[in-house]
Amino acid sequence: MAAAVGASILWPDALIDQEILAGGLALIPALLLAHYRGWPLVTVLLGVGLVALVIMHLSPLYFGAALRGPFLILFVVAPYISIALGAGWFGEVRRYQAELRATQLQLIQSEKLDSIGRMAAGVAHEVKNPLMMILTGIKVLAKRVPATDEQTRLLLHDMEEAVERADRIIGGLLNYSRDRDLDLASADLNDTIERSTMLVKHDLENAHITLVSNPAPGLPKLLLDEFKMQQVFVNLVTNAIHAIERDGEIRITTSLEKMTRAARSGHRMADRFSPGERVVVVRIEDSGPGIPEEYLVKIFDPFFSTKPTGRGTGLGLSVSQQIVEMHGGAIDVGNRETGGARVTVTLKVDREGAPS
Amino acid sequence: MRKRRILLVDDEASITRALAMYLTENGDCEVCVENKGSRALAAARSFKPDLIFLDIVMPDADGGALAAEIQGDPVLKGTPIVFLTALVSRRETGGTTMTIGGYPFLAKPVHPETVLASIGEHARERA
Repeated sequence: MAAAVGASILWPDALIDQEILAGGLALIPALLLAHYRGWPLVTVLLGVGLVALVIMHLSPLYFGAALRGPFLILFVVAPYISIALGAGWFGEVRRYQAELRATQLQLIQSEKLDSIGRMAAGVAHEVKNPLMMILTGIKVLAKRVPATDEQTRLLLHDMEEAVERADRIIGGLLNYSRDRDLDLASADLNDTIERSTMLVKHDLENAHITLVSNPAPGLPKLLLDEFKMQQVFVNLVTNAIHAIERDGEIRITTSLEKMTRAARSGHRMADRFSPGERVVVVRIEDSGPGIPEEYLVKIFDPFFSTKPTGRGTGLGLSVSQQIVEMHGGAIDVGNRETGGARVTVTLKVDREGAPS
Repeated sequence: MRKRRILLVDDEASITRALAMYLTENGDCEVCVENKGSRALAAARSFKPDLIFLDIVMPDADGGALAAEIQGDPVLKGTPIVFLTALVSRRETGGTTMTIGGYPFLAKPVHPETVLASIGEHARERA
């Protein structure tokens, strides 16, 4: 319609057929847009439409007035339909490309973790023995050092802490290398979270952090490895505590949701969930400073840590991710618009073998 | 009451040396060390320990098999055994009682205080 009005203003009736010009004007921007966006099929369709209009104009004898109206409608409307179809089709292609890339990245990550696991299993035994020797030696010396020699005692204390740290790292590494089977049982996720938070109660109190729980009532039971999932939530809450450091709030919310197409496009979601699938979502939000954008892409990498040396092994999130994915779920980390970080754990409700 | 006799079987000589030193100096223990798994049975027969700390993975012997041999030996039968192992982490053992093949175990690196406590808990009492 707009094109027809434009045509009547620009060109008098006597000079050019306004209906055909209107169709042509409508086609040209659509053609340019399709060409610019790189949609070859749509470009060709529009090109054909434009050429057909030119032919109609140049050969009026073959296109009687009775046919011109419906043809014009066809040629004016068809491009828009083509664009809509083409855009949808190309959108699908792009989504599949993104999902393929996410799957490839996941595969690379998985292979990387497998390599670490194999290495850890081999190294752990060799490392734990010298650690034990050092620890025992420290204890022998500590008994011999006079109580007045504070500097030596402090030195021995630091050495013992170093051994503990090395042991924690080795222990974390070993989590990759074994026990990949889950001990699944029907469980209430809200109860699992509550038991997990009890384990970090003292850390919360010491840091003056308030824990706010919003458990969704009547959540369906899930098939969970209770021990491993507790490990996940302890890790996530501990991370939040470390991020806040002191005086703040951690909010844990659970909800029963249906997976939407938009939510499914998040990290690692596409290949795990179908649109419309029932999921239980746990959101852990903290009032800390949030996570710098550049860290978000590598936050699940083993040994990546923003914590000061000695405070974190850099394995907590990697282990948590592994456990959640073993449950067929997904974990995502991001920043809240109002500040602070948000970790989202998504678990399937209707897993094979899950209680109905 | 006489000192408790503790046999340490581990192929890591540095561990047994340090642990023997700690137990001798800080516990009421008489300690015998054997760094060859294949000679552990003979050492046990000779020493007649009240408790054996036994490494599981040794180059020349399997701790599990050795424990079975000890329990099958007419002289040593009933001697308490505690495994020392690097196969599991201390965190995994937690506060729960865990056993391997029915024997309690301590996960390396284990605090010598914990070894002492284990002696108090498991060593055979003899007048």
